[in-house]
Amino acid sequence: MLKHRLKLAASAMVIAAAAFGATAPAHAQSEDGKYKIYLSLSYSGNAWQSEAANIVKALAATAPYKDSVELIEVISGTDPQAQISAYESMIEDGADGIVSFPISSSALNRTIRRGCDEGVLFFMYDATVTESCAYNVSYLSSGFGENSAQALVNELGGKGKIFLSRGVPGNSVDQRHTDGAMHIFNQYPGIEVVAEYYSYWDDRTTQQETAKALAAHPDVDGIWAQAGEYGAIQALMDAGDRLVPMTGENSAGFRLALADPAMQEKGLRGVSAGSPPAQSGYAFKLMMEILTGKRELEPMNIEYPLPWVPAADVKVCEGDSYENGCNVFPKDRVPSSFVSEVLNPELLPEVNVESALNGTPVEGATIQPLPEDVPEAANLPGINCDDCEAPATLYELTKVEATVQP
Amino acid sequence: MSNETATLSQTGDTRKAARIKRETVSTVAIAIICVVLLYLSRFISPALGSWSQVETVLILGSFLVVVAFGQGLVILTGGLDLSIPALITLGGVLSTTAVGAGNPDAWFLLPAALLACGFVGFLSAVGVVWLRVPPFIMTMAMSIIVASAALGITKGTPRGYAPDAAVALMKSHILGLPSPIVFVIGFVFLGWLLQERSPLGRYLYAIGTNAEASRIAGVPVTAMQIFPYVISAMCAGFAGFMLVGYSSGATLRMGDDYLLPSIAAVVIGGSSILGGQGSFLGTVGGAFLLTILGTIISAIGLEFGLRTIIEGTIILIALLLLREELFNRIRSIRRKA
Repeated sequence: MLKHRLKLAASAMVIAAAAFGATAPAHAQSEDGKYKIYLSLSYSGNAWQSEAANIVKALAATAPYKDSVELIEVISGTDPQAQISAYESMIEDGADGIVSFPISSSALNRTIRRGCDEGVLFFMYDATVTESCAYNVSYLSSGFGENSAQALVNELGGKGKIFLSRGVPGNSVDQRHTDGAMHIFNQYPGIEVVAEYYSYWDDRTTQQETAKALAAHPDVDGIWAQAGEYGAIQALMDAGDRLVPMTGENSAGFRLALADPAMQEKGLRGVSAGSPPAQSGYAFKLMMEILTGKRELEPMNIEYPLPWVPAADVKVCEGDSYENGCNVFPKDRVPSSFVSEVLNPELLPEVNVESALNGTPVEGATIQPLPEDVPEAANLPGINCDDCEAPATLYELTKVEATVQP
Repeated sequence: MSNETATLSQTGDTRKAARIKRETVSTVAIAIICVVLLYLSRFISPALGSWSQVETVLILGSFLVVVAFGQGLVILTGGLDLSIPALITLGGVLSTTAVGAGNPDAWFLLPAALLACGFVGFLSAVGVVWLRVPPFIMTMAMSIIVASAALGITKGTPRGYAPDAAVALMKSHILGLPSPIVFVIGFVFLGWLLQERSPLGRYLYAIGTNAEASRIAGVPVTAMQIFPYVISAMCAGFAGFMLVGYSSGATLRMGDDYLLPSIAAVVIGGSSILGGQGSFLGTVGGAFLLTILGTIISAIGLEFGLRTIIEGTIILIALLLLREELFNRIRSIRRKA
């Protein structure tokens, strides 16, 4: 009996809460006249995630946004359910905009839809959602997998034994990259994938998994790696004094190694490409331009250009930012896991390496307008759209040409 | 007359069988499984089963041996330490930020970093022993606190690089052997002395079997319940230091892959998860068994899901093979024979 009454009371409370929530007005700015912006991360704790968040924090603390934006960071872990409830709270709290790294491309859709209906802007960076009322800012459609695979094939002259160092199992981003890469590798009968392992986009895991693969295949000819690539170099160094051509993402350790004559002597060649944390900053600036009325843009999939730095183009910086074409900071400035593509002189001239490491703004900087043109991303079914078709040009090479024929 | 001899020899056999400790049997059994697996791996890839694979296994397994020693002591007294990943990270982050970030001469900060880890273990122990918080809740809470503190202090990107001492420990050669292998041999010997051959170790076994009886027997129970958590935390911190030397830097998720393996190594090694039983050498065998399995599984050209299923199955089979009932049955068979 008592139990029944408790249940009744509980459901009454739920209904009341829902009613209040529904009647809460969607306001454009909070009481003190500031835009209320939420930064929603799924998880934190690796260099990539922290840098992406730090860039947004630095931009929000840069004039004029430092006086007009209230930025609240929420980290909800790797569970989609937690991010859903975080979004719910943000919507209830009267958020004007949510900049977010979404943990799932589909699980958050219903909540996002509800937020859109209440006038909240959703900007996703790097990972995407299929809900069409959200803006996706991502490099995912820019062809990392196929371009890097072709670069590796070119280096290997079209034949050899290779390792695939992948990301997180079951993740759509990892799958897209690997599909693109296998599209290329499958065209070359001389290319043999002798080991394929998941490295969780982490240096140390990559190093251990590569070490295991090397135990079985010490004669590997090349490595195609996603983030964590610096670990693969270290595993090769541990196993002997021989390096091989490899492609990987944007860690400072990898770029510095590519440019190091001693490493080149041992056989290291390749290209640094992949996921740029700078996407978060671009997403935030774009959202603020819309919120402040400087730009009109309907929700769309926006492509962030693929960073592409072959060994010959690596240039070490002397200052705090990417000036004069330099694209990596020296070892005494950043840790080897630092993701170099966090700065972008064209899109994010306001921030520097300290912003990426600490979230601090550059003194005296003011927000610069973004280029007028916003590049549209291709459809990736299940990744950035539902009920859509991939373009015929999917897997078309954009950064590199095949120098060897199958 | 002939009848009598038979009876005599039978009792003789029983005593001999009983004299072989259960732990010894399981340790030997694991060692045999390890060797057989290494040998069989030749059939998967011709490069496997070689000395270089053994080297890889010993180096990759060294981290697990170190953390599993601490975990083993905690489990021996009936506890469980879930804070190992956070403490690995703490050890790694402290060694890169305090020493590696341009303080190569501040070697004394390394023991200080280990003591800091030990202090965290002490706090866990305080919660478990005095506040009577269940060990897995207490250590989980400490784990969250430590991991969050590390995240907050580093802002997500641990600075600095590996201290020279860590690189020397993991990347040099001693008498032609990679230094981590020499280190792990020494570590196993010391761990074995502490757990199996010292009064301290015997106290831990006694507490794990029956804490109340131990108290009456004059064992300093409280101190001996605190001790394993402190050692476990320091071991995890040291593993973080080793990992930093191995991969030239710290990341905040560097410890994540060691929690369940540290428990699995202890249990596969023949220890009871309820405490009071087990041996460190068995744990060492368990740690290397898991590592060998890892290297072999990664060489099988199957899909990831299938590989993980095979890995899980082999671990399960190993556990079933090493069960106590099986030893009892072997004993009874020998008795009958």
